[in-house]
Amino acid sequence: MSATIELPHDVTPHPITGMYNGKFGVWLFLASEVMLFGALFSTYVLLRVGNPEWKHGWDLGLNIPLATLNTMILITSSVTVVMAWYSLQINKFDTARLYLWATVALALGFMVVKYFEYTAKFSHGITPKSNLFFAIYFTMTGLHGLHVLGGVVVFLYLVGPGSRMWLTHPEKYTNRIECTGLYWHFVDLVWIFLFPSLYLL
Amino acid sequence: MTGAPYGRWSPWNAAADGVQVDQLISIIHWFMLVLFVGWGIFFVYCLLRFRSRAGHQASYALPAGKMSKYAEIGVAIFETVLLVGFSIPVWWRYKYDPPKPDRRQEVRAVGEQFAWNFHYPGPDGKFGRTDPHLITASNLLGVDFDNDPVAKDDVVSPTMHVRKELPVYVRISSKDVIHSFYIPAMRVKQDAVPGMEVPVWFTPIRDSDEFRAAIAKDYPLNERFKEKMLRTTMVSMQKYEKGGETIAESGQVISDEIVEKLKTAGTTTVRAAEQDPIQVVCAQLCGANHFKMKAPMSVDTEAQYEAWLKELTTEPQLDLE
Amino acid sequence: MSTSAAHAHPGSGHAHGHGHDHGHPAPGFWSHYVFSTDHKTIGIQYGLTALVFLFLGFCLMLVMRWQLAYPGQPIPVIGGWLPKSIADAGILLPEGYNAFGAMHGTIMVFLAIVPLGVGAFGNYILPLMIGAQDMAFPRLNMASYWSFLPGCVVMFASFFLPGGPAQSGWTSYPPLSNIATSGQTWWLLGMVFLITSSLLGSVNFIVTTIHMRAPGLTMFRLPFFVWAQLVTSFLLLLAFPPLEAAAVLQLMDRVAGTSFFMPEGLIISTKLLTESAGVFQGYSGGGSPLLWQHLFWFLAHPEVYVLILPAMGIVSEVIASNTRKPLWGYKSLVFSVIFLGFMSFVVWAHHMYMTGMGQAISIFFQATTMIISGPSVVILTALLISLWGASIRYTVPMLFATAFLPMFAIGGLTGLPLGLTASDIHLHDTYYVIGHFHYVVAPGTIFAVFAGIYHWYPKVTGRMMNQFLGKAHFWLSFLFINGVFMPMFWSGMAGALRRQYDPLMQLHAETVQGLGVMTSWSAWLLGLTQLLFILNFFWSLKAGAPAGENPWHATTLEWATEYTPPRHGNFAAVPTVHRGPYEYSVPGHAADFVPQHEHA
Repeated sequence: MSATIELPHDVTPHPITGMYNGKFGVWLFLASEVMLFGALFSTYVLLRVGNPEWKHGWDLGLNIPLATLNTMILITSSVTVVMAWYSLQINKFDTARLYLWATVALALGFMVVKYFEYTAKFSHGITPKSNLFFAIYFTMTGLHGLHVLGGVVVFLYLVGPGSRMWLTHPEKYTNRIECTGLYWHFVDLVWIFLFPSLYLL
Repeated sequence: MTGAPYGRWSPWNAAADGVQVDQLISIIHWFMLVLFVGWGIFFVYCLLRFRSRAGHQASYALPAGKMSKYAEIGVAIFETVLLVGFSIPVWWRYKYDPPKPDRRQEVRAVGEQFAWNFHYPGPDGKFGRTDPHLITASNLLGVDFDNDPVAKDDVVSPTMHVRKELPVYVRISSKDVIHSFYIPAMRVKQDAVPGMEVPVWFTPIRDSDEFRAAIAKDYPLNERFKEKMLRTTMVSMQKYEKGGETIAESGQVISDEIVEKLKTAGTTTVRAAEQDPIQVVCAQLCGANHFKMKAPMSVDTEAQYEAWLKELTTEPQLDLE
Repeated sequence: MSTSAAHAHPGSGHAHGHGHDHGHPAPGFWSHYVFSTDHKTIGIQYGLTALVFLFLGFCLMLVMRWQLAYPGQPIPVIGGWLPKSIADAGILLPEGYNAFGAMHGTIMVFLAIVPLGVGAFGNYILPLMIGAQDMAFPRLNMASYWSFLPGCVVMFASFFLPGGPAQSGWTSYPPLSNIATSGQTWWLLGMVFLITSSLLGSVNFIVTTIHMRAPGLTMFRLPFFVWAQLVTSFLLLLAFPPLEAAAVLQLMDRVAGTSFFMPEGLIISTKLLTESAGVFQGYSGGGSPLLWQHLFWFLAHPEVYVLILPAMGIVSEVIASNTRKPLWGYKSLVFSVIFLGFMSFVVWAHHMYMTGMGQAISIFFQATTMIISGPSVVILTALLISLWGASIRYTVPMLFATAFLPMFAIGGLTGLPLGLTASDIHLHDTYYVIGHFHYVVAPGTIFAVFAGIYHWYPKVTGRMMNQFLGKAHFWLSFLFINGVFMPMFWSGMAGALRRQYDPLMQLHAETVQGLGVMTSWSAWLLGLTQLLFILNFFWSLKAGAPAGENPWHATTLEWATEYTPPRHGNFAAVPTVHRGPYEYSVPGHAADFVPQHEHA
């Protein structure tokens, strides 16, 4: 079915919300994601409070320096995606593309570090089954990792085949980068909460 | 209270605090009825009076709605009264006002797929140690009879015995999945959650004899009665004899043999009652045989209770009746 | 069907000629009927799929009702067709009974009612009612349906597993659900698909409602149907994720050996669980069964409002157009439904009163539960008062819509003894609860769904449904559905428990067995009655009287489409709205209705 209909506020912001459709949609989606990770954080709190002999992450062999590195990586990737968006705003598509590739590279770097963390645990026989801490650790970081991968897929599309849209609908393309960037900041934010909760406290 | 214990609105109330639950339910239902009838009258009136017909026009103007505001406020006030005046005090009695430790019977009720087992502390009043590793088919609660001196007088039984007029303090837990300890006649219900032990308490005010007497019926000796006997143990409520020979004593369990004998003797009905008119059932889906998970509860007089204890030998014993 | 390319610009107000092809090839079968992004096609897809599952879910219960009325008797005719995990020699097995029970609830809630109320009615009607050409994100809409359907397939397929489908209730309480057969894992996977579908849909609905309204259509000129859908979408958006999280946690417990919901020391058949074999491979302990309940009910309570709100929306529209006067208390309806939405998030633990709850928490939840009854009462009262001064046309949709009112009242009122802890002691987990919630969803929501189908069928198909069959369908359904559910309050008061394979096993329930038989017969007769509807539905497609554009003489925008049935793009030109949604019997007007878009 060819979408020959022009839907209002696809690109122009709506007077009430001040956003175009996609941006409003992404914010709503993020609200639901807050509820998802919120439920998991609540689970973590409930289980930890209910188990007086809770062992701390650092006692159980979590690698704090590596996780700190990962935090820096993600924060940097949030910066690069903003730079990509800004470059598009000032019509510098090639610079934007570089920044998008940088974001992808950093995200993949995050996953590589995660890979090393996980395999180190598995080789010591530590799995989600081992105890309640690792159950919640693997579940929350695993779900977060899936969200990182999801973001990578979208970025790859936008910097690859999806970048053709820059030629026909530059404003809409810029908006897509903005929306994905918003999602990406959220993924970053979740990690910023995960990191201290699991590794430091 | 006259009439049958079961099947007329709610069951007989057999517990001292149960009457408050019943009162609240009653009041709420009167309130519901008043609201429904009030709304209903208005509703039916409108359906008839304002039906479309020749010469009748709808009016664009909206009726001023003071009545509905007052009704709304009235409902809110009534609900507050229900909550504060009834529900909260009753819940307090159920949750924060246990019978004093020196005048109550102690028992642990442990649910499993698909039975209740009751652990009695015995004359010393203390529960013996339990250990999951000691659990076997003949020691379902893993009571350490051999090594724990306190456990020596403990009793584990699939029947719950309590005494009339004596408060009972039940500690409820589960071995496997969530069950729910429910005795309809005692207005007691509590989820048995594994990993938790939650107490409930109640004071029986009717004993099992009274229940049996009230529930007794004249059953025709037909297929239906036979089917019922497959599901429930029935006892005869009077003595039956023929030609000097006793076929069944009052209080005797009716077996297939007895039924045949009665029929041969020319009797067509038997006055019988369920042996266990009060039951602990399971009120939370716990698996395939959830429907079968029930335990008899016997509300005894002092004498009956002592007799039950005596039946068991003095050795630490399991009542496998 | 020509592709109508509606190059209308918002506010331009002038029509473009249609019927001229802009050189686009006509869409093929697959992109027109299957992978369509048009909200109307997607609405119909949802509607048909959901109706099939509504029927299937109903049939599951009809089978169960045989076992309940005649325990241990082989099921006539179809007994032999049931798989080995469900029945043996035609007699339902306890596992089969539990499986059918769990799937009845799951299918009715997630595969039937919500997809009907939101996926079908919401998708089809909402953009039309706000004068939009489609949803804000048409492709996301398509993705939402195509996430829903795999969920349905997974749920349906689970019936054919060797161990049967999920059988731990639609509530799936652990530890029971943790140690259940593989059907439970499939249930969890199915839920992930279904939840994803809802989330995608809800984002679409909210953006569409706020952003895509026709010029002049302010929020307070929206038909109440749209407000109900908007609040429903927020509930879906914010309440479903915790269940998704819980499903992930339970999947981890079942598949990865974690123990989020399992305390240590569980003993199955005299063995400590760490030593047990089977699906469950041992675990570490330390978890909490109550954690699942909190996460589940955090969704499931707002979910029940998701079940009722679209129904209230539909009933409001049908009542307005068939009373020929404006709805009473529009503003209170709107504020009530918004307040209801908020409150629905803070009452969840009233499903958990018997878990060992203390005074403080129970007071909190009882108070919020009492408070939430307020807006429901306001909405019901407003709809009742809307009948005053009316000129009521007893069309088939109106019969269903008016019946909704007392049925919903019974459902709502019977929630009161359940909402207070002290009375809940006696009634929790009995048939009283089943009677309560079914009155709200069955003669409540389902009647509203029927009202909606009879009301909008002429718009969707261009034909009227047969009135005689419709009235027969209504009266018989009304009779039998009350026959099914009214006895349950008496059963429940007698203490008869729910989810019981053999009701004769318990003494206190034996005495109300006759009521159970009455329920079963009423249910089977209710089932037969639905054949009238199915017949009418399909027959009218070909042979119903042509409907014209606006057979009900209604004021809202969906009746002002360019074609009936509406085509891609919906309107000749984007309408401009000049008045509220219920301008019926306006003094000084010749006609007894003034459509929203008619020029002032």
